[in-house]
Order: sequence, then structure tokens, then C-alpha cells
Amino acid sequence: MKGGQAGMRVVIAEDSAVVRVGLIEILTEHGHEVAAAVGDAEALRAAVDEHRPDLAVVDVRMPPGYTDEGLRAAIAIRRDHPGLGILVFSQYIETRYAADLLGMRSGGGAAGVGYLLKDRVANVREFIDALGRVAAGGTALDPEVVTDLLGASRHAGALASLTAREQDVLGLMAEGRSNSGIAERLVISERAVEKHVSNIFTKLGLPASDADHRRVLAVLAYLRS
Amino acid sequence: MTAPASRTGGLGIRGLVRAPFTLHAWVDLGYAILNVPVAIGGFVVLMSTVWHPMLLFVSTPVARGLGTANRELADRILGERVPAPPPMRPVPHVHVKTPDAGALASLAAAEGGKVKLQLNRLEVTGVPASRIAELAASEGITISELKTHSGWLEAAIRDKPAWRARAYVALKVPVSLLGLAAVGLTWIGGVAGLTSLIWLQEGHPVAHVFRYVAIHLLLMLLGAVALLAAPRLTNAAVAVDRSLIRSLLGPSTLAERVRDLQKSRAHAVDDSAARLRSIERDLHDGAQAQLVGLAMKLGLAKEKLGGSTEGGLTAADLDRAVELVDAAHRGAIEAITELRVLARGIHPPVLDNGLADALATLAARSALPVELVVDIGERPSAAIETIAYFCAAELLANVAKHSGARHATLEAVHVPGLLRVRVTDDGQGGASMDAGGGLRGLADRIRTVDGRMDISSPRGGPTVVTVELPSHA
Repeated sequence: MKGGQAGMRVVIAEDSAVVRVGLIEILTEHGHEVAAAVGDAEALRAAVDEHRPDLAVVDVRMPPGYTDEGLRAAIAIRRDHPGLGILVFSQYIETRYAADLLGMRSGGGAAGVGYLLKDRVANVREFIDALGRVAAGGTALDPEVVTDLLGASRHAGALASLTAREQDVLGLMAEGRSNSGIAERLVISERAVEKHVSNIFTKLGLPASDADHRRVLAVLAYLRS
Repeated sequence: MTAPASRTGGLGIRGLVRAPFTLHAWVDLGYAILNVPVAIGGFVVLMSTVWHPMLLFVSTPVARGLGTANRELADRILGERVPAPPPMRPVPHVHVKTPDAGALASLAAAEGGKVKLQLNRLEVTGVPASRIAELAASEGITISELKTHSGWLEAAIRDKPAWRARAYVALKVPVSLLGLAAVGLTWIGGVAGLTSLIWLQEGHPVAHVFRYVAIHLLLMLLGAVALLAAPRLTNAAVAVDRSLIRSLLGPSTLAERVRDLQKSRAHAVDDSAARLRSIERDLHDGAQAQLVGLAMKLGLAKEKLGGSTEGGLTAADLDRAVELVDAAHRGAIEAITELRVLARGIHPPVLDNGLADALATLAARSALPVELVVDIGERPSAAIETIAYFCAAELLANVAKHSGARHATLEAVHVPGLLRVRVTDDGQGGASMDAGGGLRGLADRIRTVDGRMDISSPRGGPTVVTVELPSHA
């Protein structure tokens, strides 16, 4: 796993020059290499074919249609380059896009995928952290998507049986964070997180899983079922 | 739009005496006289097309043409503006043979057609054959047979505006003749009475002096009364014709008015949706991206200042942080500018002070010298002010962009019920509704509040665009 480490090769697709320049700045400051920075979905696919990066950072809305070009390109790239991590980001969060991207409709895996609100980029540490998770084959889901999923879940009764702390842990887990990440975030020990996680899995009736990304999948599938 | 009543002079005795000598009176008289040959000519033309049912094909456009001619005449001479009825629309009638008649029927019905369905046959009224073929192709429905009637003949027979124009042409003959008879009697009688001394001579004036004086006094009095009444009578006779034109030659049936409103409402909805979309786009591409960019810079700067690398804050970190904050500051200023421009595009704040101030700002900011003539007493409603403002802005922008003019005039006059905005330029002319599409869009927007736009732009100029809006929408 090279996640979180410096030296990833990244392709950026973002049509706004200001944001593109900002992304390049952040990535290079953190020791990553930007192999290409392009402004539309066509160019993105060409750049991925050419540079074979570790990670692609993709804006959803790009020319020519300014709708979901980036998302469709990302899904196609995931199909053609299964090992490649993709972080999709957007100025608006559409939960349906998240579902498309995670491949939940086709039953595929969610490894190496992120979907974040563009604003999150401003929190540089979190953003770099999310990039690392995605490059390592993990998941980075925007808290807003998680909130939507939790709010729309038909398991409101089971969810209500969780304690407030357990609900926090569930949310962070759904965002794709590891136990240590959750512990750091909630300022508790990893042992405590482990305990909360096992409680959650028991209360919701989910099979326990060690691997972070499989755990995310189980949680997301549960929320959407 | 123009007040039909009291065109024949002002109030009081002075107005009454002056009435026969005003321009309005003579214009009305001219119209009343011209009306007779126009009526008879129109009637003859119309009659030549209705003696056989097969001539309906010709008769309908002829009747509509006569209607247009009469509307134009009233507009030119009397300023009586009546909007044209909608153009004739054929009602296509299509017979289709297809195994999927049911599926195609629901598609055709969704397009607004009237559908008659039998096993594998379908009769559709109101949707053209080409559209039906298109629908079938898009859904993969095979059509084994398709017969069509264009529907022109039916439309020609049923065309209501044409029938109303025929009624007008027929009614115009007696109305114009009676009108002219009454008008002629009063004017001629009036003049004759006043001038009786010239033409009425009796044999022995001295012997019958009293009778002589009495007769002439009476004749002159009657003449004066007739002459004073003549303008009003003429106006009344013309008013009959005006009201016939309004009720028979305009798009006045309720159904047509409803269709018109539906169209302009659909346009208003589309227009506002398009505006919202473009505002969202501007925000997304502009200020929002700027802010994300500057937040990223500040995020990086914060990291530098926090001493992300081991060993705390170095001089290089500090330099870089200063650089980043500086770039973020510039980004913030750019974002503020973008937001201000965008906000002004949505609603210029100066408009709150009234249209006059807003137009003055507009004229001052224009790319070429603009002379401003504003006469707005009572303020029109806010929606009308906004439309008027954006019309003026767009028209002035057009002048600067396309006309090659060196000077423009912007006029805004508000009389009760009507706001008129006029932009005149000394450019090369040739502006039209189709060119560029900008004027077309403007006209559509104006129609949503029942306003109208007139363009006069001969090659070589000058161009005059007049926008008339009701005071309240």
C-alpha cells in the first residue's frame, strides 16, 4: 500500500483553471506528482491511458455539457483500469451519483473510490488523507452523502438503537475511515473504536469484517437496503 | 392602446368651437370618406371569391388579406393598433397501419393529437405525419402504411379569423355608407347654412326684409350647429368602424387569447428557467470556483504556518505562507468583483430608486454617447420597470455592438397605462427580429407582459426600436 505516502502519480480533470491550479499546488506541496491536468472528460480518458497514474481526481461537471461528464468518464475509467483509484469531486453532492460511482447498482466493489464535495479540498489535511485512502484501495465518501444515506435509510428503528457515539462511529465508518482514523477524529482510543464497531455490527446484524473497505461496503449496503 | 374617445378637441366652449378646425377632425373626415371606396372595393374582391365553395382555398387568404389591409389602414391613419390574429394552422389527419397501434396511439396522444384506435389501425388528428413517423422510429415501432391529409382545406374552411374578416368586409359597406351620409350631411349642411347669403337670393329683399333676415339667421344658426356637431358625429362614425375592427379583425376570441397567453406563459417559464440556469452557471464557474481556489490557498498556508514538517516553522515555510495568503487575497478580491457584476445582472440596485435613475446610470455607462430623454411621472410597477431596464440595456448594448453608430438616444416616457421606451441610433440600420436572435428574445420577453416591440431599421439607418409596456403587469 502506497496510500498516504508521498510520490503518487496523479491525473487531474477540472475545468475551472483556478481550482486546477490550486489542486496542483496542494498535490505538489505534498510530494505527489501531477502527471497531467486537463479540462474535460475526453482529455481525462486520454491522459489516464497515456500516463497510467495511481490516482485520478475528477470534477463531475465539465464541458461540453456541464452535467455529469466527469462522473461518466470516471465510471468508464474504473471499468477499464480496475486498479486505479478515482476521487470524484463536485460542488454539489448527488447521492445517486455516489451510488453510480460505488457500483452498488451493479453489485461491484467500492475499492479505490472517493466522492467528495469540492469544499473539502480547503481542508488540506483531510483532503490529502482522503486521497491516500482512495489510492490505497479504500473509500472516501463525503459526510454529506453519508448524512443523506443515514437520513433516507429504512432502518431508522435499528439506527435509533445505536448510542450517539456509535452513530458517530457509524458515520465515520461509512465515510471510509479506518479505526485509527476514527479514533483520531473522535479523540478516543483505538480499542474503544473497536468496541463501538463490534457493537454496531451486532446491533445492526451485520457480519463482522476486518478489511476497511469491505466494512464500508457492508455498512453502505445496509443503509441502502 | 390609443384612447378612441375625445380626439376631437378639448373641453369647454373653446374646444367646441375649435373642434372643426383640428387635425383630428380632418383625419377622421378623411378616413370616413376613404372608407367608402375601401369598403366597396373589399366587398367586390371578397364576393369574387365566395360564389363557389371550391374557391374557399383562395377565399380564406383573401379574406385574411383584406383584414390585414383594413387593420393597417386603421393603424396608419387613426393609430388604432389591433394585433393580428394567429396564422392559419392546418389540422393534419393521418391514417396509420401498424401492429403496435396501441403504443403509437399513446405516443401521439402525448403530442396533443386526437386519436382513434382500431385493432391495428390508428387515426390521428393534429399531429403531422412526419412527426408520427419520427415517434414510431424512436420507439422501434414498424409502420406498414401511412396515409395523410395535410389538413389545409379543413383549416381553410374552419379558419375563424377569415370568417370574422368576411363579416367585417360585409358589414363595412353599410356602416361606411351610412357613416359617410351622416358625416357628409352635417359638414356640407353646416357649410351651406353658414354661407346661405351667397347662394340664397330672393327677388325683393326690401319688401320682405324681415323674412329675409329671419331665414338667413335661421340657416346660419343651423349651419353653425351642424358644423360644431360635425367633428363629433364623424368621430362617432369612425368609432363604429374602429370597434368593428377591434372585435372582428383582432385575435379577440377567448380561445385565441387563451392560446396566446399559454404561449407567452410557456415562454416566461422557459425564460426564467434559462435565466436561473445561467445564473447558476455563472456562480459555479465564477465566484464559487474562486472561493474554492482561495480556500485551498488558505488551507495550504494554514498548514505551512502550523509547521506541518517536523522541526517547526522554517523561514521557507513562512515565505511560502505569505505568498499563499497574498494569492488568496487577490482571489478574494476577484470573487467580490465577480459577485458584484453578477448581482447587478440579476437586479441592478439603482432600479430601486426608480427607472429614471437606473436609465441615467445605464446611459452614462454605455460604450457610446447616449442622449437621455426621460419623462416618468408616476412609477410603473416594479416588474415593468425591470423589463424596461433590461430592454434598454440590451438595446443599447446592441447599438454599441452591431450598429456602428456614433450616437444614440434613449427615451422613456410614461403616460397613464403605457410606458414607452425608445432607442434611436445613427448607425447602419438593417436590424431585424431574426438577426442575432437577441431582438427576438427581447420581443418574446416583452410579450409575456402584453407589451409590444416595433423595429424600424432601413438599410443605411437610422434604427428606431420602440418598446411599449403596460404600466402594470
